[in-house]
Amino acid sequence: MAEKEKIPAKKPQDQSYGAIVVRQFKKNRSAVWALRFLIFIIGVGIFADFLANEKPLYCKFEGQTYFPVFKQYAVDLGLGSNPERFNTIYNWRSDVEFESVIWPLIPYSPTTTDKLNRDYTGPFAKQRVQSTKFKHWMGTDKLGRDVLAGLIHGARVAMLVGIVSMSIASFIGILIGSIAGYFGDNKLKVTRITLVLMLLFVPLAWFYGFQVRSYAIADSLNSGILFTVGHIILGVLIAAAVFVIPYLISRPLKRIPVLGKQITIPVDILVSRFIEIFVSLPSFLLILSIIAILESPNLYIVMAIIGLTSWTGIARLIRGELLRVRNLEYIEAAEALGYSQTRTILRHAIPNSLTPVLISIAFGVASAILTEAFLSFLGIGVPAEQVTWGSMLSAARGVPQAWWLAIFPGFAIFITVTIFNLMGEGLTDALDPRLKK
Amino acid sequence: MFSYIAKRLLYFIPTFFIISFVSFGLSKMAPGDPVRLALGSTDSSAGQMTELMAGEQAYYEMAEKMGMNLPSFYFSFSSAAVPDTLYKVLKTAERENLARLIDQYGNWPQIEAYYKSIKAIEIAMFSVSSDSTNFSQIGKVRQNSGALLSAYEQDRIEFAIEQLVEATQVPSMAPVKGPVLALKQNYQAILAEATPYKNYIPSFKWFGWNNQYHFWMFGNAPFWSNAEDHPSKGYGFLRGDFGNSYADKRPVTSKVGEAIGWTLMLNMIALAISYLISIPLGVKTAVNKDSRFDKVSTVILFALFSLPSFWIATMLINYFTTSEYGMNWFPTFGVSSPGIDADTPFFKFFFDRLHHLILPIFCMTYGSFAYLSRQMRGGVLSILRMDYVRTALAKGLPQETVIWKHVFRNSLIPIITLFAYLFPAAISGALIIEIIFQIPGMGKLSYAAIVGRDYPIVFTVLMFSAILTMVGNLAADMMYALVDPRISFSKK
Repeated sequence: MAEKEKIPAKKPQDQSYGAIVVRQFKKNRSAVWALRFLIFIIGVGIFADFLANEKPLYCKFEGQTYFPVFKQYAVDLGLGSNPERFNTIYNWRSDVEFESVIWPLIPYSPTTTDKLNRDYTGPFAKQRVQSTKFKHWMGTDKLGRDVLAGLIHGARVAMLVGIVSMSIASFIGILIGSIAGYFGDNKLKVTRITLVLMLLFVPLAWFYGFQVRSYAIADSLNSGILFTVGHIILGVLIAAAVFVIPYLISRPLKRIPVLGKQITIPVDILVSRFIEIFVSLPSFLLILSIIAILESPNLYIVMAIIGLTSWTGIARLIRGELLRVRNLEYIEAAEALGYSQTRTILRHAIPNSLTPVLISIAFGVASAILTEAFLSFLGIGVPAEQVTWGSMLSAARGVPQAWWLAIFPGFAIFITVTIFNLMGEGLTDALDPRLKK
Repeated sequence: MFSYIAKRLLYFIPTFFIISFVSFGLSKMAPGDPVRLALGSTDSSAGQMTELMAGEQAYYEMAEKMGMNLPSFYFSFSSAAVPDTLYKVLKTAERENLARLIDQYGNWPQIEAYYKSIKAIEIAMFSVSSDSTNFSQIGKVRQNSGALLSAYEQDRIEFAIEQLVEATQVPSMAPVKGPVLALKQNYQAILAEATPYKNYIPSFKWFGWNNQYHFWMFGNAPFWSNAEDHPSKGYGFLRGDFGNSYADKRPVTSKVGEAIGWTLMLNMIALAISYLISIPLGVKTAVNKDSRFDKVSTVILFALFSLPSFWIATMLINYFTTSEYGMNWFPTFGVSSPGIDADTPFFKFFFDRLHHLILPIFCMTYGSFAYLSRQMRGGVLSILRMDYVRTALAKGLPQETVIWKHVFRNSLIPIITLFAYLFPAAISGALIIEIIFQIPGMGKLSYAAIVGRDYPIVFTVLMFSAILTMVGNLAADMMYALVDPRISFSKK
């Protein structure tokens, strides 16, 4: 990034909108620093297993060479299984005589309980460890779990929360917002018969897509997130397939003049009302009550629920932006060239209205991370054994002597939230049309 | 303007009903049996026969009182395999298990016969006199017939039936032998005459007005009547009858009424303080833009804005309310010290309260204070760029006059209207602080209700927060129009 800034200014500058935005963003020093920090945190999240793990990266004992961390990945993916010998190792730090070994940076997993350093051993207290390599740099909690290892793996959780929930929110927001914005109140015309038949088939689509398979979907929650997602996608596909029937029926019937009369659907009004009602729902209480009734909540459900309740801002932005874009000449040109509506929306209208959504996403990630941290602080929604920044912070409650438990995870949440807020600010400035000179 | 307000008020109606559907649906999907929650007991199959009978009796009375003997909603949309009388099975766990069986086999008549024969075993057990010879058999029959009520997997059911058959081989168990054989036959009939295809036929069933949702929303008492006239009837949510809390049987109205006072008071104080500080601060930083004071305060405000309040609250409680680091300056939890009540002299009472509330109010204040200051600074900056400000300065007005007379008043507009948005947000924001500091407000009440599945309270809190949000949004929009004549809602 540093090299790019040194490009001589005399070169003709790229005058596309994106290039201007990038230049403006780079002028904002704090936003650029935030971006660098973000890349660092994402890196920590991705490589968390290699940075903090109770198993060595590489080791040699009893004449055999192993790569336990990598092996674990293969096992988790269903490729092969751990060697027999591994099953008898409960404590990698003391159960094995290594001939040679390479440990990860932090030789503890977030769930590793170090029995010798239980009951809140501080970073400056005397720790009963073999060498500096095994020191708990940020102390331990009641069970002897390493705080730094928890922070590193918590980064992964936080980034996942941000990415997954905002992906869901963006998908819904962009879909709904672009439908409202592109069609407006007078662009979507359907024939009477199609409208009536489609409405009649809504309950049927629901029935075959989801209701018939409700037990299968509910049971899939216990067998893994991928199964659930697969079931939901299958449900959507079935529902879509059901809608083909009214479409086929209506085709010949359209020729009858009374049935074939065109009706304009005020999409924008309908969607705007829906959003208005949706934002009146007390979202945090709702998230809390939904998660509280789940029998076996996990992190992905929490992410999905946060995503499902935070799409309105994005939808509103996209709608406003598309209402502006759709009157521009190039959309008219695209329509005049006879491009299909789908192509005009997907290839021409939406890409040009996406940039402001980035602002909303940046702030949205910050608040999603905060929401999840608070939920796990309350102990709602995450399994007890899952270590997150919020759950670590809650372990500090009522234990004033363990200052490291309150300071470090709280600071991690604070820094991450600040980074996203700074990026949001930077993007707001960079995208502000008044600054475009 | 008037028509705009009328229109907005009209939107309240669908929103209100959607929220009522959502919270009603949540309560229906929640695991656990609401009648058991209201009774405050767990289902037990042990104990004396008379106790069991009394327990069943209490259960059915409570279910009837709560309206649980009614269908859930006005209609249902399910498969043809599901009968329209399934709601008459009152116990949630048994009903859900029957629904599972229907989903597997799709033949309700056979499943109904099977269910009835399980019940018949329980009844037949009354005529078995227990003695030393059949003690273990009785236990076995009770346990397995109980297990059948919540089993839908074939192997579990077959195992339980085998156990029942085995236990009834003893002569003293003769009265149960017949029902057990009937049960076995009925189960074989389910398997033999399964019609799973029926699950794929959609069917719409209309239940009429007499249902749980209607009962909860509108009650069943005559329309124009006083609560005194019909003490045993429900008046419904719309007529202010929010029901009783499951946890302590007190009316929801009084519990929420007590709690809302605390929340409102805390929020009012917190918002007042943040306005009092942020307005002058915003003006000062904007006027001295790019001064050192401005730069430092911008950074600090930004940091405050991003500080998670539950972190700060945890730290404050850990370090300022304990003697661990010699800073035991504040009480840890709650709103008053022991021994302080209404009879305490006013000043003592007042300072005790203040002492307890300083930390929570601080935690509730700093976030909105930082946000408001930043907004105020931005507002003043944009007004300073206006032509009329330049004109005023050019014609020689003193800077003080320009700032306080022309700039300040105009930049207040967005800040004032923000109040209406901040207020509903503050109510849910207070949840965090109330839980951590154990303040008996709405946040703590609703959290405890959600965790304890105390649905009458959850319903009420959800509905009121939604109404508050809508009123806040409406008020904000109206204030915009009132303070800024350029905004008009009458123009379409």
